[in-house]
Amino acid sequence: MAHEDHDAIYDLLAARGVSRRDFLAYCGSIAALLGLSEAYVPQIAAAVNRGARLKPAIWLNGGACTGCTEAIAQADSPDVATIVLEILSLDFIETLSMAQGEDALAAAEAVFEEPGYILIYEGSVMKGFDGNALRIGGITGLEELEHAAPNAAAIVAVGSCAVDGGFVMARPNPADATGVSMYLQEKGIDTPVVNLPTCPVNPEWVVAILVDVLLLGTLETGAILDKLDRHGRPKYIFGQTIHDNCPRRGHFENGNFVYEFGTEQEALGYCLYPVGCKGPQTYTNCPIVRWNRRASWCVEAGSPCIGCGSLDWVDVGAPFLNRHRDLPLPEVGNTQPNTIAGVVAGIAAAGLAVHAVGMKATGRTSGGAPYEEMKERDKKRMKKGGGE
Amino acid sequence: MARAVVDPLTRIEGHLRVEVEVNDGVVTDAWVSGGLYRGMETILLDRRPSDAFYVSQRICGVCPVSHGHASTMSTEDALGITIPNNARIIRNLIEAAQYIHSHILWFYALAALDYVDPVKALEADIADTYALAQAAGTGVSDFGAVAQRLQTFVDGGQLSIFTNGWFGHPAYAQDMPAELHLIAVAHYLEALEMQAVAAEIIAIIGGKFPHFMTSVPGGTTFVPTEQKLDDILFRFMRLNDWVTNTMIPDTLAIAPFYAGALEYGGGHGNFLSWGMFNTESPEMTDRYMPGGVVMTGRGLTVEDPDPAQVVEFVEHAWYDSPTGLHPSEGETNGMFDEYNTDNRYSWNKAPRYDGESIEAGPLSRMLVSYLRGVQPVQEIVDGALAALGAAGRPEVLVSLLGRIAARNLETKVVADWSLEWCNELIEAVAGGDSSYFQPHSVDQGAGAGLWEAPRGALGHWIDIQSGKIARYQVVTPSTWNVSSRDAEGIRGPMEEALVGTPVIDVERPLEACRVARSFDP
Repeated sequence: MAHEDHDAIYDLLAARGVSRRDFLAYCGSIAALLGLSEAYVPQIAAAVNRGARLKPAIWLNGGACTGCTEAIAQADSPDVATIVLEILSLDFIETLSMAQGEDALAAAEAVFEEPGYILIYEGSVMKGFDGNALRIGGITGLEELEHAAPNAAAIVAVGSCAVDGGFVMARPNPADATGVSMYLQEKGIDTPVVNLPTCPVNPEWVVAILVDVLLLGTLETGAILDKLDRHGRPKYIFGQTIHDNCPRRGHFENGNFVYEFGTEQEALGYCLYPVGCKGPQTYTNCPIVRWNRRASWCVEAGSPCIGCGSLDWVDVGAPFLNRHRDLPLPEVGNTQPNTIAGVVAGIAAAGLAVHAVGMKATGRTSGGAPYEEMKERDKKRMKKGGGE
Repeated sequence: MARAVVDPLTRIEGHLRVEVEVNDGVVTDAWVSGGLYRGMETILLDRRPSDAFYVSQRICGVCPVSHGHASTMSTEDALGITIPNNARIIRNLIEAAQYIHSHILWFYALAALDYVDPVKALEADIADTYALAQAAGTGVSDFGAVAQRLQTFVDGGQLSIFTNGWFGHPAYAQDMPAELHLIAVAHYLEALEMQAVAAEIIAIIGGKFPHFMTSVPGGTTFVPTEQKLDDILFRFMRLNDWVTNTMIPDTLAIAPFYAGALEYGGGHGNFLSWGMFNTESPEMTDRYMPGGVVMTGRGLTVEDPDPAQVVEFVEHAWYDSPTGLHPSEGETNGMFDEYNTDNRYSWNKAPRYDGESIEAGPLSRMLVSYLRGVQPVQEIVDGALAALGAAGRPEVLVSLLGRIAARNLETKVVADWSLEWCNELIEAVAGGDSSYFQPHSVDQGAGAGLWEAPRGALGHWIDIQSGKIARYQVVTPSTWNVSSRDAEGIRGPMEEALVGTPVIDVERPLEACRVARSFDP
């Protein structure tokens, strides 16, 4: 791309109130998030040029705790102000909209009339009590979704609740909750849905997907669909397990474990598998992207992963602090490295000492590592979870 | 007579409908309706107590830390677990971070637009804005750049989250200078940064926010390193500076233009606090913000809180479970017939304390702490009362403006304590205390976690049988505040606070929205 093109873009951005430095910073971080090289930064930058008009977007809250709205407020590249002032025209979002009542709904209605907007959905789809488990503006949440979905260019289901009902659909599912894509399928509405699980959603993923569809134009070309797995999740985010990228992985391999919270082993940063870590079966890139502007993430704070990014995460993951002897085989996508499948299969099949599984099943030691003697502590505590 | 309906009430957590009856420009009756039923308490049945720590946080994505703690404390109460001192301090710190986060977010991102008109800010003179900021003793931003960003945004013609806002509404203080509107807009943007800094502290201690990971029954999984302690302290210092030098001066600068809001919005005048931030004593009344009950109808005095006095009614809510039960025996069986303000009209039950409809929140905590002689609370409240021309009259706090002031002043008190607690933890760790978790076995017992979310009194009640949850009930702050009418037809606290609110424009009842939003529901 020629320099003069750059300058034209920067002028346009300056007119929108975005500084050149800020813009390059967020294009760079976006490229990294999308797994693209720096070479794509000009392409991302150029894409901005296409849209003199901000893309209209609507954020609906279903059976939500508002945690995903909270999460998006924690984004920093770009930050939430940039998103709502200079990237999207987010004309309706219950938690942030200045407008109230009928006037707020009218703002949404104006967007619904013109096909092509982005619909972001937070929270479960509430089918209970004929949809009256959720009432907004005198109608049910179901009616709202059915009204908003057909004209949307795409729906981004943020957080596990929107993806499959999340914790709300955990047994006995008292409010008959489900996910956006499941509900739309029932109703025969074929708007594409991008699923971004975890509880709440990680804001970096929302930003990545918005850039993907808005700036790279992958929605219009259909390219976005090629980036999704069979559950509608972007493969570049949900293609590897937490275990794959965990900084504590080395301790797993070496058989160094935390058996009780708050101990010296935790101070040494040992592996949390025996206290229930669901990292081996949970497909997200949390260890890389981390949380809250990269401040930390669950395992770094001494907590086992509870698998909030898995489908049906509560019933699959609980009891959270127990090491699962029989892993329900997770939704293994097509992109899994063999090593991971090996770990999962190994754990499911074997009642072996954990460290031995780690050494052998990863296949990192060809022909199998010589098994260590089972540690005394392991023998005593094989069936124990972390706190109980 | 006219009925006005605001549905949805935006800029809150969750789904709320506010319906008011207006006579001669004043609200004479009100109904508030919670719009969502998920059945959390039913979902938790037959699971492990520690699972409730994680799952029950999902009740509220704005105050998950408090739900997590109330849940964990209920289990610890049931099983007789005493947590290590380091865990106590760490829990206070993560709660402090959440309080600061939540209060900043509420005041600037949620409530401020009811008092500040962004369009009016466009009329500001930049030089005068700097002068006003200095005179008010509040933070200076690049006001010119903010004004330009705002102008560019407005000129673009797409108003995003400001679409259909009630710009130029006559209830905005007409004498508030454009420069003060611009200062507030600039600080709205800064606040978005500061709430995220506070959330980073929660992430450092708790793994992530919302929905943190570490305060499991028995203590905490977080073992601080020197580096982590430094990361936490640095952020608390930055927040303390901003709260002290921006948030508090902003509050005091804007409040005089809305002095009329001292005259209404007080409601029943009944206040409950279970007490917040643990000292080494296990008593609720020994907490940094002690527990207490104030019934102003009986005078400005405080009594000790008694959890046995809580019952929940469901006559006007969509449940067919038995009514009038204590939460330790409570049931949650949803049913829906129709929205009817004469009958059932909300998913919110009606909790009552000693038979009274009672308010929860920062105003409750600050009043109880003030009356109990908590020194930093007395100092800051007395200072603010003097600044508002109400020196020596704490009773004026029972109002819309008082409720807002209490929340903002509490932010400063907590921000000061947070630095104290950082040092307390650093000294404990440096002194060789390396205990963070109390191992325990889980068999059976019943207990309660009575605690305070930023938005008020929170209780989790648990009954554990054979290591699993046999009964679980939660009474959230918004259950108290957004309560539907009870068996006697007595209004909930928010409904009662709405009565008497002046409304200039029935079609756009901004003043009623302010009162509802002041509870931070």
